[in-house]
Amino acid sequence: MKKIKPQYLFMLFMLVAIVQLLVPAQMILGQETILDTGAAYKFRTQPIDPSDPFRGKYITLRYEMNAGISKDSLWERNEDAYVYLKKDSLGFAELMKVSKTPLDIENDYVIVKTRWYDQNKKTIHFNLPFDRFYMEESKAKPAEDAYREAQRDSLPNNTYGLVYIKEGDAVLKDVLINEIPIADYVEQ
Amino acid sequence: MNSKLIRELPELVENGVISKDVAIKIESYYKSKNSDNPNRLFTVFGVLGSILIGLGIILILAHNWDVFPKTVKTLLAFIPLLIGQTLVGFSMLKKKSRTWKEASGTFLFFAVGASMAMVSQIYNIPGNFSSYMLTWVLLCAPLIYLLKSNGLALLHMVFATIYACEYGYSYGDNVPWVYLLLILTLMPYYVGLIQKRSKENITSIFNWLLPLSLVVVLGAFIVRFDELIFLSYIILFGLFYNLGKMPKFDNLKLRQNGYLVLGSMGTVVLLLITSFKWVWRDVYGIVGTDMRDVSLVAVLFTAAVFALVYLFMKNRVEKTNLFHFIFMIMSALFFIGLTNAVIPTIISNVLLFALGVNAIKIGVDKMHFGVLNYGLTIVAALIFCRFVDTNMGFAIKGLLFVVVGMGFFVTNYVMFKKQRNKEEKL
Repeated sequence: MKKIKPQYLFMLFMLVAIVQLLVPAQMILGQETILDTGAAYKFRTQPIDPSDPFRGKYITLRYEMNAGISKDSLWERNEDAYVYLKKDSLGFAELMKVSKTPLDIENDYVIVKTRWYDQNKKTIHFNLPFDRFYMEESKAKPAEDAYREAQRDSLPNNTYGLVYIKEGDAVLKDVLINEIPIADYVEQ
Repeated sequence: MNSKLIRELPELVENGVISKDVAIKIESYYKSKNSDNPNRLFTVFGVLGSILIGLGIILILAHNWDVFPKTVKTLLAFIPLLIGQTLVGFSMLKKKSRTWKEASGTFLFFAVGASMAMVSQIYNIPGNFSSYMLTWVLLCAPLIYLLKSNGLALLHMVFATIYACEYGYSYGDNVPWVYLLLILTLMPYYVGLIQKRSKENITSIFNWLLPLSLVVVLGAFIVRFDELIFLSYIILFGLFYNLGKMPKFDNLKLRQNGYLVLGSMGTVVLLLITSFKWVWRDVYGIVGTDMRDVSLVAVLFTAAVFALVYLFMKNRVEKTNLFHFIFMIMSALFFIGLTNAVIPTIISNVLLFALGVNAIKIGVDKMHFGVLNYGLTIVAALIFCRFVDTNMGFAIKGLLFVVVGMGFFVTNYVMFKKQRNKEEKL
């Protein structure tokens, strides 16, 4: 191999270093844009607590919105689907339509991964992508318990994820129980 | 070992075995050879230290500190990254020692991971584990070449393997093609090591890690057609064995030649499995094919054949050594197995027995106890497997075990005697 001059090597390294900085910066920028200009939806959910070896404790959110009617029966596992949304009077998200391809309508949408198709009920089951909420490690398990406590009252499910959506991308900003952020709720 | 030799030098001089001049020459030769040794040890500890500190930072950040506002968290995401980059830049600009480069590079590797993990936490980015690993490995890949760092090359291989397992073995029909690309990016570095530093420990580590990684990941490439998995593994092990016999590797010690050892042992283990009838019943039951899986096996087969042809051209094939050809015989058997389950079962048993005897013969010829006992173990394992699925009286089974056990003693004893006779004659 030909010897490359040290100064060129260093310039190459600078390039790599810039890319290494740009990737997380780009991630941040993308998320901030959605939080600034996207529309806010509330998704009713149920939290469960697992952990990731590098990124720490989080709660997995099991959303109530997990299936939609579709006449198309040729769905495959793990394929992309477009879920179109509308808001009810309280700001909660409601499913409008599930489609294999983008539709020419104004409504916000999220891209989800399909799970399975129920032939009898003609519904396609899916997972909403924003199902991870990172929490301080001491709080993830209590959060799961707090949710269960909060469910004991006779009111309907009062735990929801606050999600900002813009052009198919979504950022989960917070999870709230009885309108209180879950991290604060756990401390009470 | 060397210091032992040096300690004996005065005695040798005293008894007139060597002259004083020669003793001084020997001593200075080993001293000059060892001069970079403490340095190497220092490098190893430097890298280990960096790995621990890097992982520590990742774990500390993974606590997901609630007390810090978002801006502080964002800053925290970039601080380790900037520190790592400064250290690497400094060691490059100032042309620092190997230790500096290895340690700072390793630290930067983990800093990149920590920074992305932190951003994922702040914004609850759902991105699955495998895509996170992939971005991480790709962002650090150029550093291997810029720093010529062994530590980074090892981390690259290990993390690429973890990525492929996460991606390929999780649910869904995912094939980790990018893994091949990641391994390919490492190839120029590895080939350089083989050519320039083939006898060094670091090259031996790669000689083991690369085939191990391929063994672990191969199964993820076959998604629809499970029965092809064992065929593809037999071919892979055949490829390894023949690679291990290549001039560059065959001169190495056995413990440095992961290809040969894994190839040989893998072949034996798979043959043991295929010596059971149920495997072939599964093959017999195959209906339909999947073109992608079949073509993958075909590519693997072609590679193994190429390796064998190359060995032939270099006159390095021992014609009596069955291990070279097993993958071809088994591939043919697989096709026979599609129409008949009995013949392949019998042939697999015969092959395994022949391999065992073959290894025993090689062991005896080369006076190598390791290979001799390897052959004996193969035969013993074959007999043991047949016990499981054959209806035989306990008395006969017991008797057979005793005979095999005696076989171990007798052959080792005979060879031991032979070796002693030879030494006495000298």
